[in-house]
Amino acid sequence: MADPLSSSSAAGLRAVPAHSTADPGILAAQDKDDLVVGEELVRFRYYTRAVHWFVALTFFLCLFTGLPIWTPIFGWLAALFGGLQVCRWLHPWSGVAFAFFALLQFAHWAGEMKMTPADKRFTKLKNFLAYMRWETHDEEVGKFNGGQKVLFWMSSLASLGLLATGVVIWWPDYFSAPLREWSWVLHDLTFVLFILLVMGHIYLSIAEPGTFSGMVKGTVSKAWARLHHPGWFNEVTGERRR
Amino acid sequence: MAIPGLEVLYSSASLRGTGSGIRRVPYLSKLIDTSTCIGCKACEIACQEWNDLPNTKTVQDGSYQTVPTMTAEFWNLIQFREAEIDGSFAWLMRKDQCMHCSDPGCLAACPAPGAIVQYSNGIVDVNPDQCIGCQLCRTGCPFDVPRFSEKTGKMSKCTLCVDRSVAGLEPACVKACPTGCLHFGTKEDMTALGQERVKQLKADGYATAGLYDPPGVGGTGVMTVLKHADKPELYGLPRDPTVPRSVRVVKNYLRPLGLLGMGAVVLGLVGHYLKFGPRQPKAPPPGSPTA
Repeated sequence: MADPLSSSSAAGLRAVPAHSTADPGILAAQDKDDLVVGEELVRFRYYTRAVHWFVALTFFLCLFTGLPIWTPIFGWLAALFGGLQVCRWLHPWSGVAFAFFALLQFAHWAGEMKMTPADKRFTKLKNFLAYMRWETHDEEVGKFNGGQKVLFWMSSLASLGLLATGVVIWWPDYFSAPLREWSWVLHDLTFVLFILLVMGHIYLSIAEPGTFSGMVKGTVSKAWARLHHPGWFNEVTGERRR
Repeated sequence: MAIPGLEVLYSSASLRGTGSGIRRVPYLSKLIDTSTCIGCKACEIACQEWNDLPNTKTVQDGSYQTVPTMTAEFWNLIQFREAEIDGSFAWLMRKDQCMHCSDPGCLAACPAPGAIVQYSNGIVDVNPDQCIGCQLCRTGCPFDVPRFSEKTGKMSKCTLCVDRSVAGLEPACVKACPTGCLHFGTKEDMTALGQERVKQLKADGYATAGLYDPPGVGGTGVMTVLKHADKPELYGLPRDPTVPRSVRVVKNYLRPLGLLGMGAVVLGLVGHYLKFGPRQPKAPPPGSPTA
């Protein structure tokens, strides 16, 4: 491979000292995304990844402090934090932290999550099942596919629901008994559905190798982009329609 | 554990369900005869003294009530209401405290193992060492009894003077009552006594007199004789209290279904991976442009 940066059409890339051994993709993925760097595309710049990882961290903090309160079957998880009393203290505050990062993520991504005709095709049950059999290939799938967009909107709604009902459970003095009761039901219902979504989300990042590197390094291989997000690949590389 | 009557029958957040095979002892019960209560508050003072609760500043709000509501440091409150019943005026006293339900909603709602227990003698007790102060018991209680202490971060409520009653003594409030309107004994005896008193009241012309022992919570360890049992709301008592449906929904349906769903999805995803494997990008077709 020759100088990988030479092929980049993007302006404003950081100057890389000649002796640097740093991965050019990582360096390129600092401030801008949707760039070509050698055999890779920059998918998520530093800010995007940082926000998403803080969302993930606080999500799991909420989950692992909440599960032992939800059922004694997960009581052993409380020992990770120093007991159920600590979980009871930590859970609402990690919820506030999660809500904060989820809001940042929402503001960051909401503009890119509009459902296009290709996305609507993707979310038809028949097509989604075909996707899960690794059978579909839609040239128009952009940077995010329909499933990812639905996940985004559903998890944003779930985050809002968990925050609203969580506040009611946290400060029972300020709310009526029926509101407290049904907030509790909704909090539990929402969290169960949210977990199922997140399980699928994490699974697909594992079952589709190359995905994880987009959230770690910030770059993905061209082959990965061509397979999973051909519309985005074409747009970024300028190979076909722009 | 070894003290008769204090074997744990039922514990919060327990995976084992109701205790079985333990010696059956009679349920303890307190009978409150509101028709002979004079509102002297001796029981309130006795409760504060025996349970080592601090002095509470009274609130003068134009009523004969000591404070507006029970607090974490005030477990026994004589509620006072004025009512007009059939054209005549009545002062209604009612002893507000934990009812020690046979089917305690607080215990069902509590997520902390062992923080709320029901002993074999029927007393429902809070164990502060296990309590996490989440206040979900408040949501579970149909009588609005458990109170959260900002000072300790724990819930507290009447214990039916468990430390006295296991030693064969009556609760402090019963000991202090000067009119004999409070009685203490087995549930069976107290029910009989309450019904006898209701009969007397009916003979005296209170046709609607009755014993408040709501079946929706399996009956209560603390029963109240009311002159106007047809309208318990007059006394601030719920007409037909039950453990809130939300508690049942969360504990009996959402929790098992949620666990099942999570297990099913984990298994399903493992199965999916075994069947379909990872979705690898194919090598770029020959002649395709490279950047």
